[in-house]
Amino acid sequence: MPKLTIDGIEIEVAPGTSVLQACEQLGIEVPRFCYHERLSVPANCRMCLVEIERSPKPVASCAMPAGEGMVVKTNTETVHKARKGVMEFLLVNHPLDCPICDQGGECDLQDQAVSYGYDRGRFAENKRAVKDKDMGPLIKTFMTRCIHCTRCIRFMDEIAGVSALGGLNRGEHLEITPALEAGIASELSGNLVDVCPVGALTSKPYSFTARPWELRKTETIDVLDAVGSNIRVDTRGPEVMRVQPRLHEDINEEWISDKTRYSHDGLKRQRLDRPYVRGADGKLKPASWAEAFAVIAQRLSGVAGTRMAALAGDLADVESTLALKQLMQALGSPNLECRQDGARFDVSARAGYVFNSTIAGIEQADAVLIIGANPRWDAPLVNARIRKRYLTGGLKHVGVLGQNFDLTYPTTYLGEGGAELAALAAGTHPFLEVLKAAKNPLIILGMGALRRPDGAAVQAAVRTLAEAVGAIREDWNGFNLLHTAAGRVGALDVGFVPQAGGRDLAGILAGCQSGEIEVVYLLGADEIPGDKFGKAFVIYQGHHGDRGAHRADVILPGAAYTEKNATYVNTEGRVQQARMAVFPLGEAREDWKILRALSAELGKTLPYDTLSQLRQHLVSVNPVFGQIDTIVPAPWVAFGTAGEIGGGHFISPIENFYMTDPISRASVTMAKCTEAFLKPAVPAAAE
Amino acid sequence: MGEYLTSLWGDLPVVVRIVAAILAIVVPLLVGMAMLTYMERKVLGAMQLRQGPALVGPFGLLQPFADGLKLLAKETIIPSGANRMVFLAAPMLTFLLALVAWAVIPFGEGLVLANINVGVLYLFAISSLGVYGIIMAGWASNSKYSFLGGLRSAAQMVSYEVSIGLVIITVLLCVGSLNLSKIVEAQRTVWFCIPLFPMFVVFFVSALAETNRAPFDLPEGESELSGGFFVEYSSMSFAMFFLGEYINMILMSALTSVLFLGGWLPPLDIAPFNWLPGPIWFILKIVLVLFFFIWVRATLPRYRYDQLMRLGWKVFLPFSLIWVVLTAGVLVYFDLLPTT
Amino acid sequence: MALLDRTARGLFLTELVKGMALTFSYMFRPRATINYPYERGPISPRFRGEHALRRYPNGEERCIACKLCEAVCPALAITIEAEPREDGSRRTTRYDIDMTKCIYCGLCQEACPVDAIVEGPNLEFATETREELFYNKEKLLSNGDRWEAQLASNIAADAPYR
Repeated sequence: MPKLTIDGIEIEVAPGTSVLQACEQLGIEVPRFCYHERLSVPANCRMCLVEIERSPKPVASCAMPAGEGMVVKTNTETVHKARKGVMEFLLVNHPLDCPICDQGGECDLQDQAVSYGYDRGRFAENKRAVKDKDMGPLIKTFMTRCIHCTRCIRFMDEIAGVSALGGLNRGEHLEITPALEAGIASELSGNLVDVCPVGALTSKPYSFTARPWELRKTETIDVLDAVGSNIRVDTRGPEVMRVQPRLHEDINEEWISDKTRYSHDGLKRQRLDRPYVRGADGKLKPASWAEAFAVIAQRLSGVAGTRMAALAGDLADVESTLALKQLMQALGSPNLECRQDGARFDVSARAGYVFNSTIAGIEQADAVLIIGANPRWDAPLVNARIRKRYLTGGLKHVGVLGQNFDLTYPTTYLGEGGAELAALAAGTHPFLEVLKAAKNPLIILGMGALRRPDGAAVQAAVRTLAEAVGAIREDWNGFNLLHTAAGRVGALDVGFVPQAGGRDLAGILAGCQSGEIEVVYLLGADEIPGDKFGKAFVIYQGHHGDRGAHRADVILPGAAYTEKNATYVNTEGRVQQARMAVFPLGEAREDWKILRALSAELGKTLPYDTLSQLRQHLVSVNPVFGQIDTIVPAPWVAFGTAGEIGGGHFISPIENFYMTDPISRASVTMAKCTEAFLKPAVPAAAE
Repeated sequence: MGEYLTSLWGDLPVVVRIVAAILAIVVPLLVGMAMLTYMERKVLGAMQLRQGPALVGPFGLLQPFADGLKLLAKETIIPSGANRMVFLAAPMLTFLLALVAWAVIPFGEGLVLANINVGVLYLFAISSLGVYGIIMAGWASNSKYSFLGGLRSAAQMVSYEVSIGLVIITVLLCVGSLNLSKIVEAQRTVWFCIPLFPMFVVFFVSALAETNRAPFDLPEGESELSGGFFVEYSSMSFAMFFLGEYINMILMSALTSVLFLGGWLPPLDIAPFNWLPGPIWFILKIVLVLFFFIWVRATLPRYRYDQLMRLGWKVFLPFSLIWVVLTAGVLVYFDLLPTT
Repeated sequence: MALLDRTARGLFLTELVKGMALTFSYMFRPRATINYPYERGPISPRFRGEHALRRYPNGEERCIACKLCEAVCPALAITIEAEPREDGSRRTTRYDIDMTKCIYCGLCQEACPVDAIVEGPNLEFATETREELFYNKEKLLSNGDRWEAQLASNIAADAPYR
């Protein structure tokens, strides 16, 4: 534990801590450009110079390990002069185009130039000019502004795991270039915009549209995948201008996926802003809330509860799911289902459907088995965690069952799925030894393996496997389900699954075809093709005119995730609350309110009038909802139904990472990404 | 030609002749009144280093007509608490009385509508009646500002009429007739403003007070009563007050020239003065007096009410009384009394 | 003696006459006012009148949508929306000034890095309706075109003091 003195204050730090980190622990600010906490240290910007006694010249503090007895000074004349010199050199080639630069107002260089810049330039020659590079539809480049900190190169190499960027030439002539001048095919490429300390890399969809000081910032939760990334939604007036990551060490650290960051433009397109009712001529016509409710009440009167069904969608929040469940129960319907992808697994035990190890827990794993999942698409930040663990050197083996994807770290492909899993469960597969040898084996079970008729058997087999390899201990639970839908775990927690005697998804759809199900209530459920509902009366509540609304007989316009105060549970089982950033569009309302109003119309008034009453109710239904942002370890009990596992391929449900839900399907940016990154690979994805 | 016109005039029915004569007085009078407002604004402007009206017509000459049209086009507002009849009658009365007085004013030798022997008394009576219009307006408006304005006005007019009466008596003593034409004729040798100069000053000051002009414009005092007795008036009813007041100003100027400045007589009965006809001289004198009215307005601040009353009762009344006695004494002692 | 003096002054109205003489003399002095619409007083190059958006001599609008004027405006009278133009340059799609909110402080033109928004010499822009005072980009640019010669000379005249 080296002890050192910084600006006259003594501090003891952990071995390996750099001087810069030691300064930060004391709250002393050291300017920097190239240094980033989560990236390697190249020490090439020289902005963090400090004076250390007995050192002949100023030292780059980011790369200097704290040593015993060091005396560091960060606030001397020499330090200031040195930093001013560095700043002047940086500004020699940096254009003075702050007024047209999107980084203006949130630019590290701009801020630090206020403290360390001269107010006039002494450089009379021509400035350097660099050709802009094409980095795809998400990142706009202005390479003349680049100050060669190489953060972007390091981010792509280390965090994203795609060596897409590199530097050409040296010294003043260094140019950051995407490999082969192609776009950056990574799900995390948007983070480059945050990583870049200047305006060299900026967000293309956001370009020139707003300034940071105009934006109202709302801290909320992302729902476009099941990770539940913490985000900040920046709005101006009624418009979501951009989505930025928010620090949460246990979930997303400070990164978010491109879908999270860039699909918000889908919130402006194809929105449902008023109720619609399908008229006699088969066309949807605008209606008032009262008219829409009246049509529903009329159609529902006299229909037995068992002839109704409800499906909760992937983006449904917990509050509205609970409200819908209670409404359907009041109407006497047991036919509830939240797994639109047809996944079948036992939901009796919470440990059976959450990511028990937690995302942060991945950093303890030393062997990983991925079954029927593509973490790079299902949950890019989970994948980034696995890569982080791989980079620290602790992760020796990653086995993959199902499709063989490039997961940005070396994997062992074990086979297509069913047969190999059966062999593993039976204890006859060679990879079993690897898992057994590992201290903390981690098994990730994806939807690709569960959305099969034998899903429950797969679940049971994996449970057996986990127990067999020692993944279930007092201090470690290596059984993990990786969900792809943000609303799924929450819906399972409130029990939005077939009740006693109720039909599951297949049963409901069969009932629709045969006419045994007359009414289907879709709460933002858009993944099921409309013709599967037969002649049933379809009520669609949601925010986008997607598949569900296309088929609907009555449309009730709901709120998107940026427009409501709502609770979501991520794949870890972590309860988080999203906040309203803008008001719902037009006549749209928050979803639970719609259900509450409809229940009154149907004479089955739900017992809550305010969101806080509903949330209290929620806690009484399932106590986990009382624990915001904490992981409640699920007790390990028996779950799953042992049975025969069929052969065949485990195929991931996500065909196109950029278009998985109504919001991203409506997004122009996501369409451009599909075009740019996936078109050659997945010709069918564009539909 | 001239004879023909004269005979034609004689052949007309008497009513037509009277109406034509009245119109011959009233129409120039109204035009003159309009020109007076223009002159007032121009002179005040000049004395305050301003331009004055300059935009409507050449040199702004049509400004008064524009103002008149504006007033004509405006809405007449009758306050809900007002006594309608009296409220509407008041401006008419003021306007009417201001015009009626002109019947006895001689514009030249023989140029008078009604050459009556009690012309001065008639004028005195008519101008005293003028106060009724103001009192009626002040009372009928049913507003405290109007009422105060009306009261002040009444008290002020009554006070100054006393000294005006005494001033006129001194003039009458020198003339020996109440006929205005005779008064003018009596000034052939010397205008009364020279022998009776102090009385001339008293008369002029009292005329200011009688017509509610600065510095005695307390009844309308904008800064204290926000307009005085005609606060509630608008449109044509306001215009009638306005007209009445300015015609009264001209009337008092005419009276001043008749009593003290020799009416239509030229200053000296020699060429080139007597080349100009009498009415022109009369008008010039009226304009001169009106200029004084305006000049005083540009110079003096408004009196306080008690100062006004003190001046009327404690200064002018005894002063003019003494002068009446003095004049009568001088006339009797030197046996200068007129003998008609 | 003083009493006599005062009484004589009072009786002969000397102060009154003096005052009257003074006002009369004023009639012949030069006017302090000007005949406004036909004559005008001089206007400083720094005069802050009606706003205008300027163009470069080649016709390109100067404004680059940096939004500094919007940020600095103490009356929140400026509203700007921007997006990349077809040629990729940063331009406003909307530049509105609510002239009824504007307090003519001139901070916008001080903040402007490209001398695009300026407060020109024009002070006669009264309108008959309130709506006409909500200036949009088109109106501001046309102001700039109309006043450009004077705006440029004003900026040049003020340049040494900036």
